[in-house]
Amino acid sequence: MTGRTNPVWLLLPVLLVLGGLFLAALGLTLIRSFRYMPVLGLTEPDLAAYAAVLSSPGFLASLGLSLWIALASTLLSAVLALGAALLLRQTFPGRQLIGFLFQMNLTVPHVVGAVGMLYLVSQSGAFARLAYAGGLITAPAQFPALTHDPFAIGVILLYVWKEVPFITLILLANLQSIGVDHEATARSLGATRWQAFRHVTLPMLMPGLLAASVLVFAFAFGAYEIPLLLGASSPKALPVLAWQSYTDVDLAARPEAMAMAVIIALLGVLMLLAYARLARPLAERGRHAR
Amino acid sequence: MLRTLAALLLLSTSALADTADGDALKGMSWDQIVEQARGGTVNWFMWGGADTINRYVSDHVGAILKRDYDITLNRVGVADAVEVVNIVLTEKEAGVTDAGTVDLIWINGENFRSMKQGDLAFCGYTDLLPNNALVNWDNPAIANDFGVPVDGCEVPWNTVQFAFAHDSADVPEPPRDMAALLDWIKANPGRFTYPAPPDFTGSVFVRHVFYHAAGGADALLGPFDQAKFDAAAAKTWAILNEIEPFLWREGQTYPNTIAQLNELFANGEVAFTFNYDPSQFGLAVQAGTYPETTRSFGLADGTIGNTNYTLIPFNSPNKAAAMVLQNLLLSGEEQLEKAKPEVWGASPAIEISRTSAEVQSGFAAIEGHPSVVSAEELAKAALPELQADWLTAIEAGWQAQVGN
Repeated sequence: MTGRTNPVWLLLPVLLVLGGLFLAALGLTLIRSFRYMPVLGLTEPDLAAYAAVLSSPGFLASLGLSLWIALASTLLSAVLALGAALLLRQTFPGRQLIGFLFQMNLTVPHVVGAVGMLYLVSQSGAFARLAYAGGLITAPAQFPALTHDPFAIGVILLYVWKEVPFITLILLANLQSIGVDHEATARSLGATRWQAFRHVTLPMLMPGLLAASVLVFAFAFGAYEIPLLLGASSPKALPVLAWQSYTDVDLAARPEAMAMAVIIALLGVLMLLAYARLARPLAERGRHAR
Repeated sequence: MLRTLAALLLLSTSALADTADGDALKGMSWDQIVEQARGGTVNWFMWGGADTINRYVSDHVGAILKRDYDITLNRVGVADAVEVVNIVLTEKEAGVTDAGTVDLIWINGENFRSMKQGDLAFCGYTDLLPNNALVNWDNPAIANDFGVPVDGCEVPWNTVQFAFAHDSADVPEPPRDMAALLDWIKANPGRFTYPAPPDFTGSVFVRHVFYHAAGGADALLGPFDQAKFDAAAAKTWAILNEIEPFLWREGQTYPNTIAQLNELFANGEVAFTFNYDPSQFGLAVQAGTYPETTRSFGLADGTIGNTNYTLIPFNSPNKAAAMVLQNLLLSGEEQLEKAKPEVWGASPAIEISRTSAEVQSGFAAIEGHPSVVSAEELAKAALPELQADWLTAIEAGWQAQVGN
């Protein structure tokens, strides 16, 4: 063979395995969500599981909580990461060390971070003990509830701590490839620092920032272990609710769990579509800014 | 050629000790089953939350299995037996009828009912185990698992009874019945809480309140009765909502797991924790997690007790090896070993009077851990478990009426 083989053919085996497994699992989930489980004697598909899930007040509260967690974590992470990337781009003594420390927590698994968060900011954590030692509080309950709280502060803090370096890394790579020429040109043509950032650098960074943010949003929306470890008992984040339903002792509750999984997957797809629609014009604008 | 192939196939299966066919095993003698089991592996899926239990199973039991029967024990730790039920259920849906992943499950109650509901258990073989003679199947608490007849589908392993723990240096005189406990909670805001059902242990605590509200367990035994449930449930939710403002975090949130409650207790944030298996308190003191002054107690109006079991799934490929393991676990020697407080402190599921004189004197010599209330003490006031339908109704009701 001398001609170049279409890479699609070379990728096909992997695609078949990955896609096959993924689609088969998705298909099975879908079938079960329609209450078709011959093992349990359910042989007449219907939409009862979806009706039950969508009409339960717990589901809407959980959906709201999950959206709040994902939105707040993403916005905070994006803003902080943008600031961090702009700072880390500059040269100053110790920059490499700070950059290294900054990226260190990328290697820490989320669950480990969550346990660390419990040790630090829970009512019996290190900060509460410091406050007690300093005479600020006299009982654990007087320390503000930062974990297992109704606003999911602990969960959001963990995601921000974990995702800021992730977004920053992407932005730093973007900044490197963009270089300083465009900004310098803008400045030499009389733009203030802010104007150069606002009209030149930011638009060029926007596609990368958006892509990273969508990843963070989707992750925070669909992750299970952090809200389980740091979240309140009610409402529960959507993935926790789905898992609880999946592990219900009554096997007849499985279709509801599957319906919830399908709804979560659908919301994920919707987010991707929204991102695709948003990203195209932004990428255009980014190119124009150059 | 074909014959060689067939011989090769036969050889390879016997080398793997694949004994998936339960019906064939039921026609064999015990010696034949033990012979079949040689060289096999048992994938034992069990709750993995206690280091001491894990050590007892992996190191102690695993070593005997290897030495005496050439069987490899592979302990797989899980957070909740329901995860294993899901594995077996999915395998059944996928048509895996003789090559399942799971050979043995540590199980009881609601999950046993699920296994029966989905026809997922290997049944009708327990008479074959020689040590089955040590089990008193006439005891309804052994013959029924949360009100569901065992029907030869599982083998008892331990008996447990719910107990509370407190730090005697913190609360010298703890409340000894449910009414007093409810008063104590209201008099000591923020010092009590319980895990949110469906956490296993939180659910048991709610059932104690449910019994209290219903005026005792006797009226609730038997199949689910909507009218009886409604009457008792209304009172239960009223009681639990009344104490809610006096709970940890003013009841705005509850611990999600018993592990979280244990941490709150270990940190001194709450005054009580509780467990279905009181030996856990002694283990936690030994581990340095709980203070030495930890003590435990039952209630004058009784605490709920039950039996836990091991079960072989219908599609286990190593049924013979799993049966050998079940028989070993049931032996007087192994029941004695795990009853030692430094090993585990679990109460036996066999009739001690039916064991050898040596084992009997071994049991008599056991000195309990000072933090663990003795099984005899607890047994003075023991309450039965309700059937699984009651449990699901109580858990759903709690989530709708109290924990939202």
